[in-house]
Amino acid sequence: MNLDQLFTRRLLVVAGKGGVGKTTVACALALEAARRGRSVLLCEVDGVARAPQLLEAERGALGQAVAARPNISLMAIEGKAALAEYLTMIIPVKRLLQAVFKSQLYHYFVAAAPGLKELMTIGKIWYEAERVDDSGARRWDHVIVDAPATGHGLQYLRMPAAARDAFEVGLVHREATRLVELLTDPARTAINLVTTAEEMPVNETVTMYRALREDLHMPTGLLFVNRLHDGGLAAADVERLTAAAERSRDDTERRLLRAVAARAREEIAWTALNTRHRARLAGAIDMPIIDLPFLFAEEFGFAELRTLAERMAAARTSAPVQRAGRK
Amino acid sequence: MKTIAEVVARHNVVVCAGSGGVGKTTTAAALAVHGALQGRRTMVLTIDPARRLADALGLRALGNEAHVVPLPGPGSLEAMMLDQKGAWDALVEHYAPSADVCQRILANRFYQHLSESFAGSQEYMAIEQLAELQASGRYDLIVVDTPPTRHALDFLDAPKRIAAFLDRGVIRWFIKPYFSAGWTTLRVVNRAAGSLLRRLEEATGVTALVEISDFFNSMSGLFDGFEQRVKSVDKLLRARSTAFVLVATPEAQVLDEAEEFGRNLAELTIPLRAMVFNRVHHEAATDLRRLDEEWLRGLVAGAVRGRERAGRLVDNFLRYEMQARGDHLRMEAFRRQLPGRPAVAMVPNFEEDLHDVAGLRRMLPHLLAA
Repeated sequence: MNLDQLFTRRLLVVAGKGGVGKTTVACALALEAARRGRSVLLCEVDGVARAPQLLEAERGALGQAVAARPNISLMAIEGKAALAEYLTMIIPVKRLLQAVFKSQLYHYFVAAAPGLKELMTIGKIWYEAERVDDSGARRWDHVIVDAPATGHGLQYLRMPAAARDAFEVGLVHREATRLVELLTDPARTAINLVTTAEEMPVNETVTMYRALREDLHMPTGLLFVNRLHDGGLAAADVERLTAAAERSRDDTERRLLRAVAARAREEIAWTALNTRHRARLAGAIDMPIIDLPFLFAEEFGFAELRTLAERMAAARTSAPVQRAGRK
Repeated sequence: MKTIAEVVARHNVVVCAGSGGVGKTTTAAALAVHGALQGRRTMVLTIDPARRLADALGLRALGNEAHVVPLPGPGSLEAMMLDQKGAWDALVEHYAPSADVCQRILANRFYQHLSESFAGSQEYMAIEQLAELQASGRYDLIVVDTPPTRHALDFLDAPKRIAAFLDRGVIRWFIKPYFSAGWTTLRVVNRAAGSLLRRLEEATGVTALVEISDFFNSMSGLFDGFEQRVKSVDKLLRARSTAFVLVATPEAQVLDEAEEFGRNLAELTIPLRAMVFNRVHHEAATDLRRLDEEWLRGLVAGAVRGRERAGRLVDNFLRYEMQARGDHLRMEAFRRQLPGRPAVAMVPNFEEDLHDVAGLRRMLPHLLAA
């Protein structure tokens, strides 16, 4: 799989550990899809919406699509609001609906029912992914989902199957079955992973990959390895700089040469660390990898995001180590 | 209290909070190592499902039981990871009036889903566990690692929300009429509720509702005195002997979340005792605006005898300087808006993950410095 093939799928989930740049990668993926002329809905699930800031766009109300950039709309999804929207669709009597929303029982039920919010969130995503306009054309070419961090993200992906199994008949069973069908359909869906090439993020990514493949049986897409260091520096030059600093009689010169050496040493150490953990990742995960660079910036903004999208588009996916068992 | 060393020394419970991926677990582990090295009987409790603490302490598997971490010196260090599912079961086993009721609850499918996925249950069980450890009197210092701040208020509100969920009045209102008097009564009591439940019954199939009813029936009466317990747990979080430590990195998005957490604490009138910035780039060595770049390129080229390699070295240096400048500007702005005067520590960007006790000890000088 490469980016071209990824963009044949409609639902693109971007998952990973907190703090690895999941939102950034999801935004870059949306920019690249938009550049290819596809219409994209980028959904942020549960929590502080960060995409509006990165894309320099307006913040919309929960569950409302807001045009952010050419071909890109943004939506913040939250379970309780999604449930209200869903009930509005299935209970057409307005007076009854208002009574329901006002009742304390309803609020207890929403707060208490395990998994309900997760289920409604996935339901809303399904609705957007399958949505057609009046002419019968798809509303969105791609729905990109910036999923919650690993543990919570898995909880969301698990919920439809759990609901399908817990409710053996009825509406919930039927709806949950449709969600499971979408999430497990390799023609429509790809679950992408984002990680940095560091020890703990790699451990979590491997765990998540196994859960996706072995428990959830969901089709995987691309593995984005983010924030890779590679300054292309040589250790021998660090030695030379240090030696020159020792020889220098000028305080400013000595201080600067030492600082340049120190930063080179840091970059070399990061590069080595990234290389080691990236190899571990490639050995344990049977997904094509897209390498993304660490982008230095005083403030990471839209310019950096666009650079990242360009690097994503230019990256060649490296084939996974073993291809056995691929679906 | 000017340093984190003082904050740790003067409190019995230290709660580390922050976004995911900021080094919260590592920070909690390092603070616990410090406490133990100071001669205190220390426990570090993590509820992180990714088992990062296990990695950080070089332990293969942390169970619901305390593991002793070998350390030199007079103090002691134990580590524990909360197994959420096991903790709920333990709670039910503890409170169930009879073995029969206990079995019925454990076998209930609704309960099984609940104990695995009820939002806030993880947070609540952590606090419950914390209260139990504290009550045992076996520790002088308990360091707690928390779930990510996206759910900050979830953590602090967990006791109240669980109490509301298990409120007997609510349970009776919600489900009991369904059993005892049937639908008609319920409809009379609350028209909207009746319609909603009827709708739900059609939607879900009766079996699920029966299980939910059965669950609530078994649960009601189970948690006699639970409210009392929730109150005492809430008191522990607000006690003077408990300190909150906020952990962040200098990234803009992380700081936004940290700011929100700080506000939440202030609203709950819980003081923030300390602030830890992890993965801080070194202090900028130069004022980039005043630096003569060409002169530096010449200087470095002379040192390494090659203009092209020198160019790469200087570019690298300038990139790091720019990054460092951004980090420090953001941290300064963040510190200015922090309420109160928490102790602040800056921990550098270690090029290696800290995954054993020796590594954690390397972190300590930075963490404890003024």
